[in-house]
Amino acid sequence: MDSSSEFTHELDRDLAALEAKAADYAARHHRLATIAWPAGVRIAVNFTADFDAMLLRRVLNEPPQQLAKGEFGGRVGIWRLIELFDSHAIKATIFTPGRICELYPQAVKAAAKSGHEIADHMWEHQVPKDPVLERDHLRKAKDAIETLTGRRPVGTRSWHTRELLIEEGFVYNSHDSADALPHYVSGADGSGALINLPFHYAIDDAMFFSFAWLNSDNQAQRMMDPDHVEEIWWAAFQQQYAQGGYLNICMHPFVSGRALRIAMLDRLITRMKALPGVWFPTCEQVARHVVAAHPAS
Amino acid sequence: MPWKDRYTISDERTLLDSDVRWPDGKRCCFRIVVDLAPPSGPAGIAPQDLATPDAYFGLHGGLDALLGVLDRYEVKATFAVPAVIAEIHADRVRGLAAAGHEIAAHGFKHEDVSLLSREEERTRLARTTASLTKITGRRPTGWFSLARPSDKFAGGAVGAHTIDLLIEAGYEYFGNGLADDLPHYWVCDFASRRAILTLPYYYHFDDQFFLLFPRKGTGLENPDALFRNCRAELDAQYKRGRQFSLVLHPHAIGWPNRLILLERFLDHARGLPELWYATSAQCAEHWLATFPARTQLKLEPSIWRDHPGSLS
Repeated sequence: MDSSSEFTHELDRDLAALEAKAADYAARHHRLATIAWPAGVRIAVNFTADFDAMLLRRVLNEPPQQLAKGEFGGRVGIWRLIELFDSHAIKATIFTPGRICELYPQAVKAAAKSGHEIADHMWEHQVPKDPVLERDHLRKAKDAIETLTGRRPVGTRSWHTRELLIEEGFVYNSHDSADALPHYVSGADGSGALINLPFHYAIDDAMFFSFAWLNSDNQAQRMMDPDHVEEIWWAAFQQQYAQGGYLNICMHPFVSGRALRIAMLDRLITRMKALPGVWFPTCEQVARHVVAAHPAS
Repeated sequence: MPWKDRYTISDERTLLDSDVRWPDGKRCCFRIVVDLAPPSGPAGIAPQDLATPDAYFGLHGGLDALLGVLDRYEVKATFAVPAVIAEIHADRVRGLAAAGHEIAAHGFKHEDVSLLSREEERTRLARTTASLTKITGRRPTGWFSLARPSDKFAGGAVGAHTIDLLIEAGYEYFGNGLADDLPHYWVCDFASRRAILTLPYYYHFDDQFFLLFPRKGTGLENPDALFRNCRAELDAQYKRGRQFSLVLHPHAIGWPNRLILLERFLDHARGLPELWYATSAQCAEHWLATFPARTQLKLEPSIWRDHPGSLS
């Protein structure tokens, strides 16, 4: 074989490997072209809060002032978010790590009492690689939430394996964004489909307001003001409203719970509510609706 | 069983807006903190850090210009001063104190105290207190540990022993806490309820992160975002009846093109009739008298416990 045909074979092998990987990934993701919302609904808006407080900072072994920055979310921020959503009669979804139930039981109980959905956000904001420990963590988190709220969580925002989530009775995940609309994620053969409620990183408060988020360099800090972010999110809402879509706004109580941002969210919600057909359900309501209206094929 | 040790520093819930009280029926506390440390590395101010145009401007032209604004608006600020800066600029620092500003400690040379042994940290702390007391004639009651622009995180460094040592040295407050937007108690030993009053700080109201951050030449200039943040926070906190505090660096805010935005912000603040302009020491004094740790700190029994297979 001359060297030219050797090169050609190598390229064929590269292409085949790429095709196989892309096909496998595509076989696991199933888009919905449109969502048929309940009568009169034009857009579903999920307000979701990742109630990490200082837990992720602790997992990453960050210094005391980083923990204190997160502690604001439990001492102050979560209460303000509950108050804000209650004042607008909006039911939000609070993705709560199991350990947070031990750190902030009063806040978790208060949120559940107001009718907000308390969903899983991993036992201690990480998923162990060992499958036995993974199941143990997920069950611990479920138990911690059920003990405080009297309700078993059916949703998660996590890296937990899909098969385990289904086995443990979970109805949806709200993680990642392979599409703008709710979509199914399954095994390569289409089995074991679980609905995913996507949130985009640009509709996430931490991306705009949290210094050193995801290990970012000082040069890359986003020190933005609430007016600027309000307009970015409002534009995203308007676009989805125009086409009858979906928006998931991801907040962190230690970020959005700051007084200046609660005021911004209050303005944003007021603008949204002025339009007809805006539905503010919990993630569970969206997931159950989509699964019923558009079952996994 | 540790009481949420290494997770929380204080109670589960903040003080409610409706329970906050300020002197003379005022509605919201307003503080300005001026950081006199020039940019340095984690080891603290080194000789070359003082031989830069910025460092010179921060203690001369920039400081004069900022003081001019504070005077015109009749605001008494808290100056966070490293001991070495007070020693080098003793007359200047005495002048600030004589003008009614508060002089608070900001480390021996604004070093990262988390890198020091307990004994070394204690020695530097004592030396800092002695320096500032000698120069101003008054013992500082507050201690700051503000961030440097090159720090990985924006909160300022606190070591494992810092809070304990500050209490041992008799400090009344720690100046930059992030766990609340009201004064709160930082508990360093839950069993004995050993705690220090901590005044709130948030880096979205700190000029150094918006003005050619992280450094001249490659940094971005966002003074409009800084003051939109300040205005939004002040308005929101005024409604709630809590507090607002702003941290300024004369080498940054002292430039005329930026000072004009500070003036506009102070004009806006003037439109809020029930603001209580206080130094950090005055704020701390009020808080310690009105909301003492003895009655405020609950430290209720926790359901927190260790689990096999989880972090402690």
